[in-house]
Amino acid sequence: MSIDLVQQLSAWLVDTDIGLLELRGPDRQVQLRLRNDGGGAAIRQESVAAPSASARPPTSVMNSPSVGVFLHRHPMRESALAPAGTRVREGQPLGLLQVGALLLPVCAQQAGTVAGLRVAHGTVVGYGTPLIDLDPL
Amino acid sequence: MIEILSASALATVQDLGRSGALRWGVGTSGAMDPLALAAGNVLLGNDEGAAAVEVPVFPFQVRFTDDVSFALTGADCAARLDDVPLLPWWVFDARVGQVLTLGLPQAGTWRASRAYLCLAGGVDVPAVLGSRSTQLRGDFGGHEGRALRQGDQLRAATPGRSAFATGFGLLPPALALPLQIDGVPAMRVLPAAEYMHYTEASRAAFWSSDWKITAQSDRYGYRLAGAALEAAHTVEMRSHGIVPGVIQVPPGGQPIVQMRDAQPSGGYPKLGTVIEADLWRLGQAPIGSRVRFIETTWDEAVAALEQTQAWLTESRRLVELCRRQRSGRSS
Amino acid sequence: MTASQATGSEPVISLLGTSALLFETPGHEMAFRTQQRIWALAREAESWPEVREAVPGMNNLMLSFVRPPRRLHQIETRLRGAWDAVEPLPLAGRVIELPVVYGGAGGPHMADVMAHTGLSMDEIVERHSGPLYPVYALGSHPGYCYLGGMDARIATPRRKVPVVSIPGGAVSIGGAQTGVSASAGPSGWNTIGSTAMHFFDPAQDPPALLQPGDMLRFRVEKVIR
Repeated sequence: MSIDLVQQLSAWLVDTDIGLLELRGPDRQVQLRLRNDGGGAAIRQESVAAPSASARPPTSVMNSPSVGVFLHRHPMRESALAPAGTRVREGQPLGLLQVGALLLPVCAQQAGTVAGLRVAHGTVVGYGTPLIDLDPL
Repeated sequence: MIEILSASALATVQDLGRSGALRWGVGTSGAMDPLALAAGNVLLGNDEGAAAVEVPVFPFQVRFTDDVSFALTGADCAARLDDVPLLPWWVFDARVGQVLTLGLPQAGTWRASRAYLCLAGGVDVPAVLGSRSTQLRGDFGGHEGRALRQGDQLRAATPGRSAFATGFGLLPPALALPLQIDGVPAMRVLPAAEYMHYTEASRAAFWSSDWKITAQSDRYGYRLAGAALEAAHTVEMRSHGIVPGVIQVPPGGQPIVQMRDAQPSGGYPKLGTVIEADLWRLGQAPIGSRVRFIETTWDEAVAALEQTQAWLTESRRLVELCRRQRSGRSS
Repeated sequence: MTASQATGSEPVISLLGTSALLFETPGHEMAFRTQQRIWALAREAESWPEVREAVPGMNNLMLSFVRPPRRLHQIETRLRGAWDAVEPLPLAGRVIELPVVYGGAGGPHMADVMAHTGLSMDEIVERHSGPLYPVYALGSHPGYCYLGGMDARIATPRRKVPVVSIPGGAVSIGGAQTGVSASAGPSGWNTIGSTAMHFFDPAQDPPALLQPGDMLRFRVEKVIR
C-alpha cells in the first residue's frame, strides 16, 4: 500500500467520523487508524494467506477504487446503470462509488456482458472490495 | 471551441451575475441555478464564477470544433456524446468533431428544467461591466448580448486535452440538501415590507397552498397561479430597488417572483422574498410544476446560505483530490 | 426580523431576502430635498464593509450586501443614525432637452390618462412638458432615469396588467412619477409619447449617460390627436 494512497484516503476521510479503517486486498490487510488529535494515520499492515488454488474464474472482477458507498444506479436516475446481462463497452460505468459529495465510476475494464453485481445498492465498501463480475467478449 | 447546431434554443451565456451596476439600472442577470453552474466549474477546476452556457430549451446540440474538457450539470437530459450516453453532473473529455446532444429533461428523482454546459477555463467571451452574463434588455454581455443561434461559435478559455483527470461527478444539491413539503419542492421566504398589507387569510393561503409555475414564466419572472391574494389596503408605491426573489403582487392578486433578468427596481407591493439560498430551487422548477413556500427567519436564511456554500466548498475539496490523480483516466 | 414598522414619521427598514435591505422615508412624497439627503446617505453607506452597493430609489435607498451581516440590528441602528445626521448633497449636473411626440401610436395609453385625470390631451401635454425634471435615481433597466417633479394632477396609477413590451424612448406616467424607457421591455406604466435618445452605452465609463443631479426637460415636438 503506497504512502500516496494512504495520504489520499486520510485526506478524503478527515471530515468524517471514521476513526478506524480496515482495507483488505487479495493478500494483504491494512488497518488505518486516524488519530483524534489530527496527527495523521497510524498504519498496520499484515499479510494474509493467499486464497486456495482453485481454478481461476472465467469472469473478470471490478474492484472498488476507494472506500465509499456502492451504487447500482445514479442517484438522479431510477434504473440501474448495468444490470446483470447488460452488454457493455470498455470504459463504460457499471456502478458508482459515492464518497461524500463525490461520485466515482466503477468502469468495465474491457467490453463484455455484466455477469452480476456482488454488493447490494447502498452498501458501504472498502478499497479493493470485489464489486462487479464481467464476462469478457 | 463549440459550434451551436440547434436553432431557437434560448440558450445564453451566463456566469454568477453582474454586481455593482445597479446604480445604472443594470440588474444582475446570471444563472437561474447558480449552484449547478458553480458545480460544473468545480468539476473542471475552473473559478466557480466562470461563464457557462445555460440551456433552458431542449433538445440542444453542439459540435466540438476542438479537443476540450466539459461538464454537464443542472437537469439530467439523457445527454449523449456522439452515441455514448453520459451521466449527469459529470465531467468529460471531448474530441474534435464529437457532437453533444442534450435531450429532454428526465423525470428521475429530481425534476429540473435547465442544464449547464461548462467548458475548461470557462466560456471565453468578453466581460462587460465586470461580468460575462448576458444582459438581454440592453443587448450586452455574454455572447453578443443575445441568446445563442445556430452557427454561433464559443471558445473555451483553456481548450485542448486536459492535464487533469475527468470521468467523475457530484451528487446534486437537490438530493444532498433536499427541501420539500408534501412531496412538492419548497423555498424559504422572508416577509417583505408590505407583508402585513395582505389579509390574514391571504397570508395563510400563501404559506399553505401549492403554487403552479405558469407558462408565462421566464428569466424575468415566474408568474404563479394559486389562491388570490387580497390586500387589506392598497398603496401606490414609490419606485425602489428590488432583488431577484422578490415576490410582487400586482392588482389581480397572482404573485410574480422576480428572477435573474428582472428589473432591479419596481413599484408593486412586495409580499416576501425567496431567500438567495433557495432561488436555484425555484429557477429549476419546470413550467407546470408546483412549489410551496416556507416562512423563515433571518438567522435561518443566513444559515441556509452558509449551508450551500459549505456544500460547494466540500465538493471542491473532494474534486481537487480526484483531479490530481494520474491523468488520462477515461469516462 | 420582520419589517420595522413606521409610526408614520420614522423611516421604514425592511428586508429584501438576505441580499439587500430597503430604507424608505416616511409618507408618499418624493421631495427633492429628501432625495438629496438620500444621495448623501448612499455615499456614506457605500463605505460600509457590509455594503456592496447603495442604490437610491424615489426617496428611498436599497443597500445590497456583500454578505448578509450576522447582526441586522447593528446596521439598522447605524443607518438610522446616519440618516438623522446627513445634509442634502447638492449634486449639480447638466440640463438635457428631449423632443417628444405626444399621443398617436407612440402614446398608446394617453386616453387612459385622460380618462383617469379628466383632463384633455392638450392639458396633459402642457402639464407634462412644463417642468424641469431632476434625475432622482437610475433603475428599472440600463440607463433608465427616475424623475422627480411631475405635476400631481396628471398622476395615473400603474396599469393592472403590465404591457409585455413598450419600445425604448417611450415616455410614461406611473402613479405620481414619469420617466423615459431606455430600451424595449415590459412596463406597468402609462405611455403617453415617444422620444429618441441614447441613454446607455456599456463601452463608456460611466455607461449611463444621465445621472442623479442632471435635469430633463420634455420639449413638445408634436401632438397627435
